[in-house]
Amino acid sequence: MPQLAETQREFRRAIVEHDTAAIVSELVGGRDPKTRLAIHQRNYEKSLVNALLTKFPATHWLVGSACLTEAARRFIKIRPPRAPCIAEYGEDFPAFLATTPVAQRVPYMNWLAELEWHVGKVAISIAFPALTLGDLTALDPSKLSQAMLTFQPGVHYLKTPWPVDQLLELYVTEAAPEQFQLAPADICLQIRGARGEYQFRHMTPVEFEFRKSLQRGRTVGDAAEMALDIDAVFDPGQAFTCLMTEGLVTAIA
Amino acid sequence: MIPSSCSHAPIGAGIGLRLPHLAEIVATPSVVFSTKSSKRSWLEIHPENFLANPHATELLLEARRDFPVSVHTVGVSIGSAGGIDRGHLRRLRSLIDRVDPFLVSGHLAWSTHESEFLNDLLPLPFDEEALHLVAAHIDEVQDALGRPYLIENPSSYVGFAGSTMTEVEFLSELVARTGCRLLCDVSNIYLSAHNMGYDARQYLDQLPAGAIGEFHLGGFTPEEDEAQEIVLVDTHAAAIAQPAWDLYAYAVERIGLRPTLIEWDNDIPELATLVAQAARADEIVSNVFAQRHQLLEVGLAAVG
Repeated sequence: MPQLAETQREFRRAIVEHDTAAIVSELVGGRDPKTRLAIHQRNYEKSLVNALLTKFPATHWLVGSACLTEAARRFIKIRPPRAPCIAEYGEDFPAFLATTPVAQRVPYMNWLAELEWHVGKVAISIAFPALTLGDLTALDPSKLSQAMLTFQPGVHYLKTPWPVDQLLELYVTEAAPEQFQLAPADICLQIRGARGEYQFRHMTPVEFEFRKSLQRGRTVGDAAEMALDIDAVFDPGQAFTCLMTEGLVTAIA
Repeated sequence: MIPSSCSHAPIGAGIGLRLPHLAEIVATPSVVFSTKSSKRSWLEIHPENFLANPHATELLLEARRDFPVSVHTVGVSIGSAGGIDRGHLRRLRSLIDRVDPFLVSGHLAWSTHESEFLNDLLPLPFDEEALHLVAAHIDEVQDALGRPYLIENPSSYVGFAGSTMTEVEFLSELVARTGCRLLCDVSNIYLSAHNMGYDARQYLDQLPAGAIGEFHLGGFTPEEDEAQEIVLVDTHAAAIAQPAWDLYAYAVERIGLRPTLIEWDNDIPELATLVAQAARADEIVSNVFAQRHQLLEVGLAAVG
């Protein structure tokens, strides 16, 4: 193996795992290069922990700094970033939080983090001109069932076993009461946003699955059939019309 | 073919455009215009802050209508033994083509090991193996981006016992082998000289002046380490320190006028503070050239 590759392997081990044994003898600088190496160890830890705390502010508020910082420290050791855009780092942090001891006491913590991740993504999106019902007149009606839709990029769907949108609302409005009862309840959310704004919409499970499957690339016909399997009185025509009037669709193919 | 020079480069000092200031700059571009001179200011971005943020990119393109922009990459990892992330280069190219910057630059450092991005600018040994690798990577980056790529001297806390050349020799050899240009971070020179025990002015004297396309100035933080030594840490979280301003004046005198950037990435202050730091850089340049002019006049008078 070329020497540089081996040097970088050992340097990485010193930075991420704090195992400096192999690299420190190669280094010079100051009275003790090991203390200088600690600057890089701190840079790595501090920058990524801060990135996670900044990305999940409501979760930070919910469980406190010490708790989330400790979780973030453990997370960055086992799952360093995979790409140079730190804005994209942390997608699997909510799932990691679910495995931490705090999740036993605060079982909705990871779901709040999951919701925050989606809110963060939609809020930096931009909205494109939406198709209207009028645009569909050019489409052969017999082909509609085979059509696939492109959604606005700032539309996400999330099903959670806790109404964590209520918690996020408390955090954002700084309106936390003395006591707040959060009871488990399955909720289906559409999270829509663009250019710094976002909004939630609670949906019925069938409407949620219809939209989510369309967003994932299923045809209108397939999504309608799937929805009708869930709820026989579901009205695909009306649901489709709602999608269009809400401005969620940017292209049909 | 990569063009060897950068046209339309602004003359005055610019500021690093960070996300908290983006909306303000778009709404009121005049806050960044220098009040002391007619020179238009300019902005430098870290593209990695924009690649995954369509809204910020939209605002950046609005700001671009009012300001020249340079692109300073922080994630290219030019010194990674495992190679350059070509997917990242493709994303950079796409943004760069939209922004049309007057300069594109990055660091003499490595950040990526295998598939992990370590989010820091890590040091390289200065030897033939690293030189060969970095030179090949510069060619690859310049080809992929379709533009010249300036290499910035690092801020150093440690070096490698096995280095066979100095940092300046390494940078000069990169210039000779690739035709790349250099980004001279004056604060990094001061900081590294302090931390590694060499002479900052001598370092500047030895740099190939003609290859330098930009200056950087950033704040650093003195820290006492466990060995009870004061180490200067490149935090970009403070105003430019006086010794760095002094070294900047020396650099301008020695190398000449170059676009100069004020960097501030942590504990980001109000925009007015950055603009004031940029104005100070402009003032230093004016003083250096006024002195030079004065000396010239004195010399001409003596001859006459």
